[in-house]
Amino acid sequence: MNDDNPCLETGVLNIIDPEYTAHPQPVNARVLEHLRVAKSIAMHTPILSRYEDVVWALRHPEIFSSEMDMKVLLGTERPMIPQQIDPPQQTRFRKILDAQFSRKRVQELEPEIRRHANELIDRIIDRGECEFDADFAVPLPCQAFLSLMGLPQEELELFLELKNGIIRPPVPPMDMEAATEWRLRTGKRIYDYFDRLIDERRAEPRDDIMTYLTQVELDGRKLGRTEILDICYLFLLGGLDTVTATLGCSMAYLAANPEQRRRIVEDPALVPGAVEELLRWETPVMLVPRVVKQEVTVGDAVLREGMLVNLLIGAANLDAEEFPDAQCVDFARERNRHLAFGAGPHRCLGSHLARMELRAALEEWHRRIPDYAIKPGETPRVSPGIREVLYLPLVWQASGRSGGAR
Amino acid sequence: MKLRVDPERCVGHGRCYELAPRLFGEDERGHCRILRETVPPELEKLARLGQANCPEDAIIVEES
Repeated sequence: MNDDNPCLETGVLNIIDPEYTAHPQPVNARVLEHLRVAKSIAMHTPILSRYEDVVWALRHPEIFSSEMDMKVLLGTERPMIPQQIDPPQQTRFRKILDAQFSRKRVQELEPEIRRHANELIDRIIDRGECEFDADFAVPLPCQAFLSLMGLPQEELELFLELKNGIIRPPVPPMDMEAATEWRLRTGKRIYDYFDRLIDERRAEPRDDIMTYLTQVELDGRKLGRTEILDICYLFLLGGLDTVTATLGCSMAYLAANPEQRRRIVEDPALVPGAVEELLRWETPVMLVPRVVKQEVTVGDAVLREGMLVNLLIGAANLDAEEFPDAQCVDFARERNRHLAFGAGPHRCLGSHLARMELRAALEEWHRRIPDYAIKPGETPRVSPGIREVLYLPLVWQASGRSGGAR
Repeated sequence: MKLRVDPERCVGHGRCYELAPRLFGEDERGHCRILRETVPPELEKLARLGQANCPEDAIIVEES
């Protein structure tokens, strides 16, 4: 472990250190112990880390606003709805969107998601090895997204290309100008795609979310075209990468900790608890940004109006004040109020969908491939930012008789 | 034991109705709806489990 991160003299946390994103827990524990408000290596942005501070910030959008210009990072022409707008406007959109992502609604998709998971497993099971990110963690959430949106599965490649064009533009590393240009160009393609889809669904309504968005009323009027586009942009960016990252982090943990894996193989009823605990322990979306709207003091730090602030969810989820034995990964943890899906009015819109995908994936995988390991001599590679395990080579005993799809 | 939810605080995490579906249900938006306002003694442990897992402190248990 890198003992200089965080640097205790300066209070600076190197959030882009590859060692940190690969193994954030010991670093986050040091932040919690020593720095109530750390400073990010990027422009010394203040970082809140305690559970109490983070949950308070998340619940107070009038102090910690979500309205910020992410054009350079996300290729957007306008704020994404409802993630980048504040209450009370945000609340009105959540009222019409929540029902489309409720547990009840996503349960209808579950058989289809399990079928997709099994089809992905069918392709690799007899090989005895896979690269988990490309072979499973990337396609499954995209297939779920297409099902939810009522789009044909043939669009898989296109949507992965669009998503990657925003999140990992294929340009030379550190060439920020080229990256921004690529993102804006990709963003335009995303808007154009959904723009055409709006026309199609208006002409021929179906039973899907896209049609719903063209028909639903908000304050007695239908949604405008740009509002629908700003919602769809969020669906695409929010729904794919985060679940991919969580699948990868969870499987990397389970591959490296066979005694924990055996527990869920022997008792699949533990899977929902394992999903929650791995969300807490791994916290794939480790950091979320906010903008200060009213000057406020946290510990010794004065947060001034207009300042960008980062909320270190990854640290809050390890805070011993909230989680007894916070450093212990316990799939049967009785009280687990982790913040992996945020809290307050911006609680992740897709949290019920994500939970269903994660449970279905872990259940189907362990039913069919209960014993596996990280390929000997190989090391998983984790991306900075959202913690996607970009390279996760797994091996297992291929038997030829491996249980088939349900 | 009495069970209540503060609708101003609930944002629809759904932990309560996942963990204790005999006491907590969901409304159209996926926000908490109390199914039994008076909790029979055999379900008191479940009521506390639902309360303890709410990330918004939105569930109120009144011990009688």
